[in-house]
Amino acid sequence: MTGANSSNGKSHSVSERLLDELREGLPDGLIPAALFGNEEIFNLELRKIFARCWVFLAHESEIPNSGDYVRRKIGQDNFIVVRDEDGGVQALFDACRHRGVQICRADSGNTDIFRCPYHGWAYDTKGNLLGGPLWKNAFGTMSKEQNGLLKVAQLTSFHGLIFATLDPTAPSFEEYLGGMKWYLDLVFGLNRHGVEIIGAPQRFVVDANWKSGAENFSGDDYHLGTLHRSAWAIGAFPVPFADNMMGYHIQASPGHSLSFSMAPSEDDPGPKFFAYPQDVARSFDTSRISDEQLRIASRSRVFVGNVFPNFSILLAPMTDDGAHFPPTGVLTIRTWQPMGAGRIEAWNWFCAYRNMTPDQKDRVYRSGLASFSMGGVFEMDDTEPWMLASRTGRSVAAEVLDLKLNYQMGLPGVGIAKRAENWPGPGIVYWPRYEEGVQRNMFRFYCDMMRAEPGTWPKASF
Amino acid sequence: MTPPSEVPVASDLYARIVAWVNREAELLDAGKEREWLETMVSKEIVYQVPLRQTVERAHGTGFSDTTFHLNESYGSLMTRVVRNESGFAWAEDPPSRVRHFVTNIRVSELEGNRLAIKSNLLIFRTRRDQTQPQLLSGERQDVLRNEDGEFRLVGRTILLDLTVIETHNLAIIF
Repeated sequence: MTGANSSNGKSHSVSERLLDELREGLPDGLIPAALFGNEEIFNLELRKIFARCWVFLAHESEIPNSGDYVRRKIGQDNFIVVRDEDGGVQALFDACRHRGVQICRADSGNTDIFRCPYHGWAYDTKGNLLGGPLWKNAFGTMSKEQNGLLKVAQLTSFHGLIFATLDPTAPSFEEYLGGMKWYLDLVFGLNRHGVEIIGAPQRFVVDANWKSGAENFSGDDYHLGTLHRSAWAIGAFPVPFADNMMGYHIQASPGHSLSFSMAPSEDDPGPKFFAYPQDVARSFDTSRISDEQLRIASRSRVFVGNVFPNFSILLAPMTDDGAHFPPTGVLTIRTWQPMGAGRIEAWNWFCAYRNMTPDQKDRVYRSGLASFSMGGVFEMDDTEPWMLASRTGRSVAAEVLDLKLNYQMGLPGVGIAKRAENWPGPGIVYWPRYEEGVQRNMFRFYCDMMRAEPGTWPKASF
Repeated sequence: MTPPSEVPVASDLYARIVAWVNREAELLDAGKEREWLETMVSKEIVYQVPLRQTVERAHGTGFSDTTFHLNESYGSLMTRVVRNESGFAWAEDPPSRVRHFVTNIRVSELEGNRLAIKSNLLIFRTRRDQTQPQLLSGERQDVLRNEDGEFRLVGRTILLDLTVIETHNLAIIF
């Protein structure tokens, strides 16, 4: 561990110094560039963030039947997310209790037994140890109860989205979400049918830091005009850049941020309900949300948000072929899996409301693939600057010259964004979207988690 | 439907197909995507890169019939071409250096003036000052149709030898 001397002469690690700088710089919108590439920080994140926070694993529609499983990640570790024989959902640590060998051999499948390939210890879909070959000779009456697969500490299903945490001291998922719940309800509970996943997730590797994805989806709307300028050249996105900056930036609760693109007036002719087809939009109702949530959805062109740490959501009007098909609402969810200080494995799912016709789902899927996927015209540009930011994060010059990144947009006196009055939902809300408080909110909670002692939690409300 | 009949390697038709494949690779390697689309591709093209998962042997190769990395039509391919010409396509401007290696070409005749071509594809790609290339290997399954005396690509399926794609984007044409 590299040491550095602080002013009081006490020796202290690089990660402690960077976190001190983050805490001191955040009120002024200054963030050390090294957070996006420092290895010591990254190793700390795996334990302080990914081993503690609620993270997304799967959607229930991916494992509809008893024995259906998918293999997913918490941090860098594999978990088997399986529909057990009683219809419940289990998240089992993919490591045999005998020698620690991974027992799940496929990305997805259906089984009633997971058998270790080494010595043959076998487990059922609840992780109970069933036994192994010549068991009586080998182990006799040794307790099987004490040798089941390890499980996540807490697991929940929210609109079919399965989240888990490895920390038994973590607050409940609802408490962890805080004000963010209101906004996730608004997206995933727009009608009584709810959403389902279309197909298996796309996975791809980007040489970048996971926080670049998380902070971008926390509400970085300002990058559209430059990075995604080509989207307008090809008619992929229906709202001009300056118009699209109209809307709200919302710090829903500590760590979790989001953004709505919304016209200043309700009478604006632009897309309603994220440009979903009219017959789909007609099914949006108040069976699971309030009048106020429905009214906000009706005025919205784009929703983008991030549930800390690495679960991102985007709902936006997109088309794969603007010359022939008008944009349709596309809902994509993704995780930025932390595979290294400069390495993300991006997982990307597309969702459709269950009551959409097969043709409408096909339009969503094609438009999503062509816009927000590794081959999509938006996302293929996104990964480019994230790689470059992580290169700066590893840079000696950035450390020696003390490069602080500027997150000052929307601070008092910086730009035109103002606190919004009369907003019906929870959180700290700004209009219009010339504002980086949404990112500062993510980094504030990040900083608190990185400094929190085991068993203690930062406040989940403002 | 009659089974496809294999076109012998020592035939004029096979030689024409190899020349077609080589010309296509030359255009794509040179970044002449519009010329490729306008002179070699059918307006009715279905261009797909199916998603693949690791599955147990009993469940086959793991390719999906319904989910994709790319699922393109002529219109969406044209969208890519126009985008790359916009001057704001950062993912490919400056462009990647891309080389298509196409081998193991097998040709058979289908009904309706069509040919099925199977080949192995290796794409070598670098960006900026990278010295480690991005490598994409897979099987290319093409269908060519004779349209007014010219072969046009009407179907392309790329079966990649990867489940997690080790490239930051798919801004290239297979």
